Amino acid sequence: MAKTYEETEEEYLKTEKNSKAFLRLIREIFRDRGTTAKVVISVIITALAGTFYPLALGLSIDGILSRNEFYFVFFALIFLFLFFVVFLSNRLRTVQTTKLAQQKVKDLRDRAFLSLQEAHINFFSKVKTGYLISRITNDAENLSEFLTFQLPQVVSGIVTVVFSVVIMSILNFSLTLYALLIIPVLLLFTFSLQGRVMRNYLATRKTIAAITGSMSETINAFRAIKAYSAEESFEASFSKLNKNNFSANMKAAKLSSLFGSVVRIIEAFGIVFVIYEGARELTAGLISIGILVSFILYVQEFFDPVTQLSQLYTSYQSAMVGVSRIYSIIDVEGEALDGNKGNQPSFRDSIEFKNVSFSYGSALALKNVNIKISRGDRIGIVGHTGAGKTTFSNLLLGFYSPSEGEILLDGQNLKKYDPASYRHIIAPVLQDMFLFRGTVIENISFSNPLLTRDEIISMAREFGLIEIFEGLPYGFDTDVGELGSNLSDGQKQAVSLMRAFVRRPEILLMDEPTSQVDPFTESIIIEALKRYVADRTLVLITHRFSMISLVDRIIVIDHGNVIQEGSFESLNVKGTEFYNLYQTYSGIE
Amino acid sequence: MKLSFKGLVSIFEPLLFSFRFTGNRKRLLYIIFVAALVASVTRLLVPVYIGQSITALEQGKSSLVGFFLVLIITVSVITAVSQFFINYLSQKLAQWYAFNLRTVLLDRLLRKKGTFMDSRTSGDLLSRSTMDIEASRNFILNTASQLISTILLIVIALYLLISINPIFALFFLAAVPLLVRIGMVFQRKQRTHWRKIRMHYGTMNERLQENIVGQRVVRGYNGMQSEFSRFSGTTSDYYDEYMEVAQLRGFYNNLMPFIVGAAATAVILYGGYIDLLTGSTVGGLVAAVNIFIMVSMPVSFLGRIIVFSENARAGIDRIKEVIDSGDEETYDNNGIVPQNYDLVFRDVSFYRGTREVLRSINLRIGFGEKIAITGRLGSGKSTLVSLISRIYDPSSGVITIGGVSITDVPLVTLRKIVALVPQGSNILSGTIFENIAFGRDVSLDEVQKACKTAQIADFIESLEQKYNTLVGERGITLSGGQKQRLLVARALVGKPKILILDDATSSVDPETELAMLNSISTSLNGVTLIIVSHRPSVLRFSERKVRLENGKITEEEQLPRNYVDADNNTKSVATGDE
Repeated sequence: MAKTYEETEEEYLKTEKNSKAFLRLIREIFRDRGTTAKVVISVIITALAGTFYPLALGLSIDGILSRNEFYFVFFALIFLFLFFVVFLSNRLRTVQTTKLAQQKVKDLRDRAFLSLQEAHINFFSKVKTGYLISRITNDAENLSEFLTFQLPQVVSGIVTVVFSVVIMSILNFSLTLYALLIIPVLLLFTFSLQGRVMRNYLATRKTIAAITGSMSETINAFRAIKAYSAEESFEASFSKLNKNNFSANMKAAKLSSLFGSVVRIIEAFGIVFVIYEGARELTAGLISIGILVSFILYVQEFFDPVTQLSQLYTSYQSAMVGVSRIYSIIDVEGEALDGNKGNQPSFRDSIEFKNVSFSYGSALALKNVNIKISRGDRIGIVGHTGAGKTTFSNLLLGFYSPSEGEILLDGQNLKKYDPASYRHIIAPVLQDMFLFRGTVIENISFSNPLLTRDEIISMAREFGLIEIFEGLPYGFDTDVGELGSNLSDGQKQAVSLMRAFVRRPEILLMDEPTSQVDPFTESIIIEALKRYVADRTLVLITHRFSMISLVDRIIVIDHGNVIQEGSFESLNVKGTEFYNLYQTYSGIE
Repeated sequence: MKLSFKGLVSIFEPLLFSFRFTGNRKRLLYIIFVAALVASVTRLLVPVYIGQSITALEQGKSSLVGFFLVLIITVSVITAVSQFFINYLSQKLAQWYAFNLRTVLLDRLLRKKGTFMDSRTSGDLLSRSTMDIEASRNFILNTASQLISTILLIVIALYLLISINPIFALFFLAAVPLLVRIGMVFQRKQRTHWRKIRMHYGTMNERLQENIVGQRVVRGYNGMQSEFSRFSGTTSDYYDEYMEVAQLRGFYNNLMPFIVGAAATAVILYGGYIDLLTGSTVGGLVAAVNIFIMVSMPVSFLGRIIVFSENARAGIDRIKEVIDSGDEETYDNNGIVPQNYDLVFRDVSFYRGTREVLRSINLRIGFGEKIAITGRLGSGKSTLVSLISRIYDPSSGVITIGGVSITDVPLVTLRKIVALVPQGSNILSGTIFENIAFGRDVSLDEVQKACKTAQIADFIESLEQKYNTLVGERGITLSGGQKQRLLVARALVGKPKILILDDATSSVDPETELAMLNSISTSLNGVTLIIVSHRPSVLRFSERKVRLENGKITEEEQLPRNYVDADNNTKSVATGDE
């Protein structure tokens, strides 16, 4: 059973095996040495300026107390100058860290996308679409926030704390110890709560995701809910999710409010310790009032970076879970073998299936199949649903390789060629007529970007399909909508057919081309096909017979076996499997 | 926007809106207000006491220091306790608001008429019911936990500064509006870029989805390179927008501390000279600088809260369009229950906007009849059958069942009599049983029977968990035909008198479909079957065919009852379609 995103994440967080991915990420990020150098310099400058400004304030106050006007004004101006330096260096840091982070995020997304494009088609049957999308969008987004906002701020803050501690120790070691007294308490306190904070956080995310999911389903199932008067039961189940979310949030709120309050008390103790020890040393004449004022500022400056550090730990873990998952997509093996890259095949004579068997898992989908497609052949492959027809088309397109036997292209084993370049030979019109968001013309020219608009339109006219496109609201410029939702199935079919035509392939492969098309559109499409395949090779896979007149030779597949082969007339004899098929399906669509 | 009085008041508008949903709990605001008042005073007393202990040290009265240290701890504990209540109760108020608003919104949505839902995309409705609620909830939270405290903090800081030195207060009065203003400008500028980032993010999502779902097409046509450059173009746009945000953040986020630093410097210089000239103590000066630094953070955030209010108001307007728009069905249990189930359309027309989707339909469907409705895409078939379940109501004309106008039949009763399997509906995440029971009180036995009739029982029985198998997002993946048969089973389990299949079996293969239809007519004795389809196999099963064209019935034909021996009549029926 597939686990949800949150469940997997929780598991990862428990196991913590992400340090490898983190190191790989850091190595990759630091490859941009120029930007890295700017980041390092700006962090150091910020830290130095941040360290010295409380000191400047203290010295300026000492100037007042010692009635030394120059001292006082000089250090007051230094104080202002240091703020200005922080302004400049932090500005540089913000821009440069964003650059480093966003460069990397873009790079990871692009690489993951490319990896999916090249992955073996098998990969997609194992992993759900939603999972992949969420890796490349959500996970990368988490990483983006972590790298852009959280990490740089905390790193810079901690560097400042370290610098401050050094300066303080030089100024007055014992007072520094008092100022640092609270840090272990603060760290211990925040880290001890981390586990619970994280669990609460995951619970709020999980419950809000459930609410969004339920809302989305309810909106989409609106008609069905009405049709069965299921309003109240939907409200009841939603109410449960809503309550869960409420209590998860309140639980988290209780803890985080408590956390904030306790930190404030710890902070007060920090100040008190410094003043207490400072007063003692002041009376002993060891320090000036100015130094004491500086120390009070220092101790307050410690808080944000230290509490942020503990929060960073949570987001570090969840970001790294994301990173390791993105890397696992990037590292997916491609379908092209190293040996066959760059072998450009051509189709002169024939494609032959020789003793080909294929299985997806345990059951054989094709058994010892022998089929020869010669140049100029027009072949129909027929059979019931599940007979092995689509497997045949997957093998022909090189999406899969035979488990046994071989496929020969002009006598050469198909494995020798790069599948991408081999596919130049075949244009598929597949069962799911897939359209991209965009216009009709964009969807057509996708398969052959070199063609001009006029050439495409004239091809549509040549094959008699123009009527279908001109009937659309904006003709060829009609927006097809999400997955082609603005078009009817027949119109989608016409688009995918044109897409194949403009490619001018050696072989046209049609896999169940006319399911669910209204008869009027279908007759236009058949007419177009007749003209197109007159002097080309056609492989038509179907379990319906409206297009059977397009082919010269029919191959009947049943349970993965070729059981009959011949012309329509020779096969359509009472008692044969073909005859039964024809009787069941003829006239259907 | 000028910071006018009206503008200031409108910042609190979302809070007023929230009162509709927080009921008694709006009283929490009083507690929050009192706690915020206490917290602001005690927080600001810390720098005052720091200053006074410095003064005490300066004057050599170190015995007094201990007293101030105790005070610092005491006021900090009071701040901490008040702050706990502010944070916790603000969350409670905001969460309670979101909880109730979600409940109300879902309730209103489910009572909308079909026409309301048609006029909006599901994505739009979803974003109203999730993101808009989140935005306003966030603002309620910010108002309660920060806005109130910050305003009180400013007022009290001002009072304390005046009491230390009125000139310090003047510096403060110059710095605060400047910080608020900069915060607002920053947030507004940033907002447009964030919107673009979200847009690019959406496009990225779409491209990714298309390429995963359509990867066979992409590969089949070797579109990998061009698709990659399209995707990479989107990630570049996203990157560019982020860099714009970085420039803004780099400038404004760091400008604000610099202004605080400048104001603090002014305080030091001015206060220092006064102290030099008058020889007074530096305690007041130290206190003032500490107050400036303490107040600067919340004040810098104030400007952004004001802009959040603009977002929240926009979101609330969009929420109001859903909850206050009317367009709802009336649920009344009083009405007439039909005694027989003959269905009659009398002069029924239906307009969608100005477009006439159905034109004076007159149709009589006797109880127990098997009727096929055909016609091209957009001819009005789905609308026609949706009227029977009152997903829509006719613009004119009457539909009656057993002589009773369906508007006089209680909705729940009507929808028990009529079962509509809508076109393109989907299964929900949950178990198979839950999907079929669909909130109704039915036994496993009834569900099994319905599945048998829908020709899906064998498949379900073959699963390890059988009827408890999870389907949908987190469950097993079903084929199109399997989904459709489940949806038919969902309709059958309610034992309807009139069953409508709106293109609901298009992915089921014709043999199974025929078996299903035959099984339905025997198991639901005498059920009326209305099937929207252009499949010849359906026509072979039906007794009558009605053809729609442009919302009009153009053809009505009695069909030979030939589904018993399909072989002989195949041709004649098939050619009868077109």
